[in-house]
Amino acid sequence: VVEGRPPDEPALVERAKRGDERAYGELVRMYQGIAFRTAYLLTGSAAEAEDAAQTGFVKAWNAFGRFRRGAPFKPWLLQIVANEARNRRRSAGRRADLALRAAAERPTGDAAPSPEGAVLRQEQRAELLAALNQLDEKDREVLACRYFLELSEEEAAEVLGVRRGTVKSRTARALARLREEVAT
Amino acid sequence: MTELELRLVELGRVLDVPETPDLAGPVLARIGPRPARRVPRWALAAALVVVAALAATLAIPSARSAFLRFLHIGGEEIAVVDELPRITPQLDLTIALCDRITLDEARRGAGFRLRELDEAPDAVYRSDRGTIWFLYGSPARVRLLVAQTKGGFDPYVMVKKVATRQTHVRVVKVNGANGAFISGRPHFVMLLDEQGYPIDETTRLARNVLVWASSGVAYRLEGDFALAEALELARALR
Repeated sequence: VVEGRPPDEPALVERAKRGDERAYGELVRMYQGIAFRTAYLLTGSAAEAEDAAQTGFVKAWNAFGRFRRGAPFKPWLLQIVANEARNRRRSAGRRADLALRAAAERPTGDAAPSPEGAVLRQEQRAELLAALNQLDEKDREVLACRYFLELSEEEAAEVLGVRRGTVKSRTARALARLREEVAT
Repeated sequence: MTELELRLVELGRVLDVPETPDLAGPVLARIGPRPARRVPRWALAAALVVVAALAATLAIPSARSAFLRFLHIGGEEIAVVDELPRITPQLDLTIALCDRITLDEARRGAGFRLRELDEAPDAVYRSDRGTIWFLYGSPARVRLLVAQTKGGFDPYVMVKKVATRQTHVRVVKVNGANGAFISGRPHFVMLLDEQGYPIDETTRLARNVLVWASSGVAYRLEGDFALAEALELARALR
């Protein structure tokens, strides 16, 4: 999931900015995973996430004129995708729960967990997700950006449209609230 | 990282997220040629303002009305159209204003010197875009709203006001700075995304409004007041 800045990104962005559709296709392939994941975290629906991510890429293409040269592409794109996803979720009138579950644990060779250990971990994860859903939308979003999408503070700030300081303080506040929820 | 943060990262990595569909094909099918342009930065900025103003009018399906003119004051633009778009305004003010904070937090975190009235506000909010709001009264019964935003043109999201010809937009001097007083028929305050489409949750009906910009900060007063009273309040905001 962790996606750094690929070395050929600046060249692809520059070509795409000049109107090169093939270069843009490469950028889409490069970032479609995290774009879809972002939209899915916000909508909880695979179909809506696909639609939001796809429309986000189209809007980013059309808005390339406003993309600041030399800036990282990923957070700029994710901000557009996140807006699309939020608008879909809100127009559907849904609460922004993280409608997620942890995948079933798969044995990994030598360190295969005991069945009891696997069940316990599943329960702990389910408990953490339930606690997350008790937080308000802003708290959930900042935690999802920082820990589920593994974005830096700067990237999360751009995606959420707030300052870096706000991401920092909101993350600290959200973690404190989450800690309380887990403890209860 | 704390143990809780590590648990969140670990949880994120095992979340059951569906497999990513191929997006490149459908995206490339939806985009068209975009000719390269080489224009001076100032010209591009000016063009964006005009395009954004037009988009605010034309991007909303039911707002096929003519774009008449716009004013640009501080970080705000006032688009004057002959018919208001039929959109559902956001009436829950607390959603539009975002985070409730204390006055001290606002003073410390605004990033500029906040101006205040002698009377302390009943509630203070900070929006995602850094605007500090003083609310006098309650969200359900607003007496006065004071908004202060550090200036600067946000390249992706713009504050937009849409007014009709029945809305009076009068250019005024506020404490020596250029400003506008918007009164009469309701007008909308909206945030536009990078395509000029309104972001739903921020659209709301505004009342009479005095806007002006001074020393890189945009100020906005909203309330049921006449121009003279609004100017008096602006002078009292120190």
